[in-house]
Amino acid sequence: MSTESSMKDAFSTYADYLNNFNEKRERVVKVSRDITMNSKKVIFQVHRLSKDNKEEVLEKAGKDLEAVRDQHFARLMKELQGTDFWKLRRAYSPGVQEYVEAATFYKFCLSGTLCTLDEINTTLVPLSDPSLEPLQINILDYILGLADLTGELMRMAIGRISDGEIEFAQRICQFVRQIHRELMLVVPKMDDSYDMKSKMEVMLQSVIKIENACFSVHVRGLEYIPLLGDNAPTSYLLGAADVE
Amino acid sequence: MAGGDGQVSHSLEKQFESFRVQLEESAALREQIRAVVMEIESATRLIQANLLLVHQSRPIPEVIEKAKEKIVDLKQYYGRLAEILEECPGQYYRYHGDWRSETQAVVSQLAFMHWLETGTLLVHTEAEEKLGLNSLEFGLETEDYLTGICFMSNDLPRYVVNRVTAGDYDCPRKVMNFLTDLHAAFRMLNLRNDFLRKKFDSMKYDLRRVEEVYYDVKIRGLISGGDPPGVQAVQGQS
Repeated sequence: MSTESSMKDAFSTYADYLNNFNEKRERVVKVSRDITMNSKKVIFQVHRLSKDNKEEVLEKAGKDLEAVRDQHFARLMKELQGTDFWKLRRAYSPGVQEYVEAATFYKFCLSGTLCTLDEINTTLVPLSDPSLEPLQINILDYILGLADLTGELMRMAIGRISDGEIEFAQRICQFVRQIHRELMLVVPKMDDSYDMKSKMEVMLQSVIKIENACFSVHVRGLEYIPLLGDNAPTSYLLGAADVE
Repeated sequence: MAGGDGQVSHSLEKQFESFRVQLEESAALREQIRAVVMEIESATRLIQANLLLVHQSRPIPEVIEKAKEKIVDLKQYYGRLAEILEECPGQYYRYHGDWRSETQAVVSQLAFMHWLETGTLLVHTEAEEKLGLNSLEFGLETEDYLTGICFMSNDLPRYVVNRVTAGDYDCPRKVMNFLTDLHAAFRMLNLRNDFLRKKFDSMKYDLRRVEEVYYDVKIRGLISGGDPPGVQAVQGQS
């Protein structure tokens, strides 16, 4: 009766379990980083749009987004079958949030509408191999990604104002106000309400920046000079020349 | 304003309303879980309070009998958790944080009890069985089990010290052998720099302490039998 060897037998199964799981976690983290990086590229691509190149810019962005799905989400899907979907959430959530941000940003610039969670998830279904569960983004990651969207829309709004596209900026203003209001009601019930609360504060600042920019345009009209202090290019000389 | 706005608003609102409903449901579920987990916590405290009697030299079988009664309750509570989780299949790990530390404490007490009874390690599958859990539906997470075992190890040095004071000079050797084996088994694991790793790191200090007590007892010749001279005098007084 060797308790030592039966202990070792038991622990060798625990070692296998931990090794396999940690390796899987590492793979998921890697995919998540790839998704983050490539989604950020989509966001930067969309930011390149201006009055004259909207179609080409958005076409490329759409293709790039599709590539993220085909190349990276497919890898993620393989790893997140069954309970691993929730078990490994910390490992992939940042990537998924960034993707949601990119997809909703792209959609808004394309059509002025919000890409809903159902719409995003529908685009992910074709990836699946019929033997696997399709990867569906969960409500929490979608909401967290949406919270970050308002920051990019703020940058876009300021940029559009410089470019003279006041109406676009005003639509952005309406939109982010709506998102902010809706999210307010949802925040307390979220699993990660702590993270979300700080995102809400940042979001409100973005909304206010957009509102202030729209106010300046309204009050100052042609003389409008873009706000300083945000990340948008301060192209006030160009802006002044373009307007009118 | 552009014409599409009314439609945009509507589908946006619908989505968020559905979100509110879903999140209300998950929040409500969380509250149910918390209520059961509080029961688990108090049952565990009762077990712990019972087991603490071994430090006061209460006979082991008696102490264990009382503690075992509480295990029946624990089984019930985990059963309720499993039922609650049935409403959202696949989401064990979404809510796992809500019972993680309480479960580690449960494992620690069960393992200590098992050791007192048998001198052996309670393995993961046995622990799962004792709580009426099964890995297919609602199981005992391996890392929770391992962390619970580390917590058990933390209690052993104190036990050994008190047993020696009570005149049981055989105890240090038994515990030392057990802990040496346990520590060696743990060394087979590749751990990350997380809480489990920290708890494992603390095990070597438990082992050292027990080794020191064993050494103290051995060099004074106590193991072969007979109390040290100072103790004989004190016993005369009580």
